[in-house]
Amino acid sequence: MADSDYSYDGDEVSGDEYVGPRASSSRPTQPAGGGRQTAKEAAPKPARKAWETEYSRTVEKTIVPVNDEDIGQSVQEREEERKRKRLRKDTKPFQRGIIRHVVLVLDLSEAMMEKDMRPNRFYTMINYAQDYVREFFEQNPISQMSVLGMHDGICIRVSELSGNPAEHAAAILGLRSKETGKEPKGAPSLQNALELARATLYHTPNHGTREVIVVFGSLLSLDPGDIHQTVKACVRDRIRVSIIGMGARLKICQEIVTRTNAGDESEYTIATDQEMLKELLIATTTPPVIRSDTASTPQQPEKGAALMMMGFPSRVVEDSPTICACHGNLTLGGYTCSRCSAKVCSLPVTCPSCQLTLLLSTHLARSYHHLFPLRNWATVSWQRAREKNSRDCVGCLTTFPEIPSKQELATRALKKERQSTTGSMLNGHLERGNQAEDDENGEQKASESARYECRSCESHFCIDCDMFCHMVLHNCPGCLSRLDPGAIADAGAQNGDVTMTG
Amino acid sequence: MNNIDGSDRHLKTEEAPPPSLLAIVLDTNPHAWAHLSSTLSLSAALANILIFINAHLASGNANEVAVIASHSHKTSFLYPTKTPSQPQQNGKTNGDVDMIGDRAGRSHKESPNKYRPFAVVESTILQNFAKLLDETSEKHLAATPTTLIGGALSLALTYISKSTLLHAPVTSGTENSMAALADAENVHVDRVPLTSRILIVSVSGDLANQYIPVMNSIFAAQRKKIPIDILKLAGDTVLLQQASDATGGVYMKPDRPEGLLQYLMMAFLPDATARASLVVPSAGGVDFRAACFCHRNVVDIGYVCSVCLSIFCNPNLPDNLCLTCGSYLSLRAALTNPPALIPKKKKKKRKAGTDTATPGGSTPAGSNTPLHP
Repeated sequence: MADSDYSYDGDEVSGDEYVGPRASSSRPTQPAGGGRQTAKEAAPKPARKAWETEYSRTVEKTIVPVNDEDIGQSVQEREEERKRKRLRKDTKPFQRGIIRHVVLVLDLSEAMMEKDMRPNRFYTMINYAQDYVREFFEQNPISQMSVLGMHDGICIRVSELSGNPAEHAAAILGLRSKETGKEPKGAPSLQNALELARATLYHTPNHGTREVIVVFGSLLSLDPGDIHQTVKACVRDRIRVSIIGMGARLKICQEIVTRTNAGDESEYTIATDQEMLKELLIATTTPPVIRSDTASTPQQPEKGAALMMMGFPSRVVEDSPTICACHGNLTLGGYTCSRCSAKVCSLPVTCPSCQLTLLLSTHLARSYHHLFPLRNWATVSWQRAREKNSRDCVGCLTTFPEIPSKQELATRALKKERQSTTGSMLNGHLERGNQAEDDENGEQKASESARYECRSCESHFCIDCDMFCHMVLHNCPGCLSRLDPGAIADAGAQNGDVTMTG
Repeated sequence: MNNIDGSDRHLKTEEAPPPSLLAIVLDTNPHAWAHLSSTLSLSAALANILIFINAHLASGNANEVAVIASHSHKTSFLYPTKTPSQPQQNGKTNGDVDMIGDRAGRSHKESPNKYRPFAVVESTILQNFAKLLDETSEKHLAATPTTLIGGALSLALTYISKSTLLHAPVTSGTENSMAALADAENVHVDRVPLTSRILIVSVSGDLANQYIPVMNSIFAAQRKKIPIDILKLAGDTVLLQQASDATGGVYMKPDRPEGLLQYLMMAFLPDATARASLVVPSAGGVDFRAACFCHRNVVDIGYVCSVCLSIFCNPNLPDNLCLTCGSYLSLRAALTNPPALIPKKKKKKRKAGTDTATPGGSTPAGSNTPLHP
C-alpha cells in the first residue's frame, strides 16, 4: 500500500534518524502523544497523511512554546546550553594510553564523491584530516601515526609510521593534487586495510597503544578473503579499531568495533553532517582508556606498563655548520642525543643512530591534563546563588545577572508550571535534586543563574570561563588561587618561624 | 563600483596597531620582597610599574590593562576591581551600587589636572593593594615561602579570553556559526581582534608544586598565541624561562633592579607589531632537561613510567613499582639487550631447491656478527 509509507507514526523513531539530545526531544513527545490520539480517533475515517496532521514531526522538535516575558532569559539559556554541550561527561581519571600508535585509514572509494558535504565528502575529509593530524600531535606529542587509504579495492600507504606531523599533512594534501592525487574510485576493502594496518603496527612496542581509526563513507566492503579471520588476528594482536561512518550503520563495522574493543560498541560513530565529522575526529585525539586485561602484573610482564628509557637532550649552538643525522642537511644547531651524541634537528624524534626516544620535558607535560583532568563544574540554582551572594565571575570579573527576590522566583515558577504540560519543572527546588541525575546522564545543561560552581573551591564562574577552563586551560583559577587551608592551620600551630629558601 | 566612486574607502583596512591588552602578574611574595628591600623596595617597584602602565595606556586609545597580584595565600585582581558583594537587606537589593572610584577620589588628594584614566587606575590599584596587605596575617606568611603563580597566570588567561570575546564577538549568522563550530581556531570576526600579552614580574624561587598548573597555562597561552614576558628581579626558576621561550616572549633578568623603570620601558613596552622590528632579549639557551622525580636531579637519560609519565633516574625501582602511581613496570624496554650471537655455521653442501629462510640463497659463511668483548 503506497499510502502506508506516509502514514503518521507518532513517536516511533527509526534507526537511521539522528537521535538528538534526549532533553530536547523528551518535551515534544507529550504533544505528539496528543497528536496521535487525534489520529486514532480519526481511524474510522481514512488514515490521515503526515502533511495533513496538525503538527509535523520536524516542527515539533524545533519549536518549543516559550513565555514571551522570559524571552531574554531563555535566549541566553539556550545559547549557554549550546556551548555547554561541547563539554563531555565527567570521567574518573582513568589510566590512559599516552604513547599511541595510530593508523588513520581514509576511505577513497566512489562513495566519497557524494555531495552531501560541501563540496563533496572527499574534500571535506581531506581538509579535516589535515587539521586532525596537527591537533593529534599537539595533544599526543610522543605518539606515532601512519595514514592509509582504501582505494579501488586495495589499500595504499599514504604516509609511513612516524611522529612528524608535517610529513603526514603534506602526504594527505598530496591526495588532492592533480599529479600525485588519488581520485576516489572503486570500492573500499576493510580487510585489506586492516591487514595493512596490522602489519604496520606489528613491530610497535607493547607499552604503547595500537589503534586504527577508519573514516568510512561507503555502504559495502569488497574483501578478498574472510574478514572474520582478520578480525580475530587483530584481537590477538591487541589492536583497537574505531570507525567513523558517514553513511548508514553497517553490521560488519559494528562487529569489528565490538570485537576489538572488548564488547564496547561506542567506538563506532556515524557523522551525519560536517561539524559532527570534525567533532568525532577531534574526539579521537583524547588518549584511549586502558582496559584491565592489558594491565601488567608480575606474572605477565610482557603486557602493559613498562619503564621506558628516554633521552632529554640539550640544545647546542655551533659556530660552523655540521650535518644533522636526521636529514643530512647542514645546520648550525640542534639537539645532541644523550647516548650517542648524534645531532638531530627537532624534537620529539627517535635518534636515527641508536633508536633512543628523544624528548623535551614539555612534551610529557602536555599529556598531564589527561591524567589529572579538571572536573566539570556544577550549575548553580538561584537559591545557592543567594547563599554565596556572588556578583562577579571569579575568572573575568563580568557581572552576573542579579539574584531576583524570593517573591519574584515564586511567581516565575508558578508561571512555568502552568505553562508546561509535563508540569514537573520547579527549577528552583529540583535543580539540586537533578544534579545527581545530570552527572550520571553526562549532559551538561545551562545554569539558570548563569553561574557555574567549582565543587572544591566553591567559586562561581561565567559560561565563557567555564568553556575556556575546561577546553583549553584545564586548570581551575579558584582552586589555584587559594592556599590549602590545612597549610595555614599547620603554620598557625607552629611558632611562626619560617626558614627562608630564597 | 570603483570606477564611479574613485576612492577606495571601503577597501582600506585599519592601519593603526590593533588594540592591546596588557595583563601584569605582580609577584608580591612578602618573604622574597623582604630580601630584596635593600636594593628595591616594593613601594618603589609599584610606583615604577604604575608609570609603565600609564605609558602603555598612552600608546593607544583602545589599550587596556589588568593587574593581578600573586600573594602567598591568595591571588586577586588589583585592577579592574570587582563589585563588592553587599549584604542583602530584607531579601531585596535596591540596585544601588557603591562606586569605588568615587570613594577613592575623595580619599586621596585629587589632583584636578591629572589625566583621569591614569588617576583612576592608580588609585584603584593602590587601594586594592593596601587591602590585600591588610588582610595578610602572620599565619598566612608562615604557611608558605612561595607564591601562587599558577593561579595568577590562570586568572590572567581567563580575563584575556573573556576580553577577547567581548572585544570581537563571533558573528552568529548561520553559515558563520557552522564554520565556527567546524574549526574553532579560525573564527570569523567583524572587528579588529584584541592582541594581548602577559607580563610576569617575579621575585620568587622555584615552584615545584606549581609545575602542572603552570605548564597547563603555558600550553593554553601557546594555543591562544599570547606571549608571556618575564622580568626576573630575584630568585631562580627554570619554569618561567620555559614559559617565555615556549610562547615567544621576552625574558630579562636585570643586574641592577633599581633601574626597574628603564628595563620596563625599553624591553617590555613594545607590543607585538613593534617587536617584529626590534631585537628582543631572550633567555638564550633554555635548559629543557627534566628533573627526576625521586631526587630532583637533572637527568640526561631518564626512565619514564608509561602510565603516569613520571621520570626516574634509575631503572632499579623497589619491587619494580612506579613511585607515583604504584603500577608494576616491566623493565623489558629499559634494558638494552646485548646483541645475539649467531653460532658459526659449518659450510655444508646444499642440494638445489632446498628450502632456505631468505629468498635469494643462504648467507655466505663467515659473515656472522663480530663477537662482543
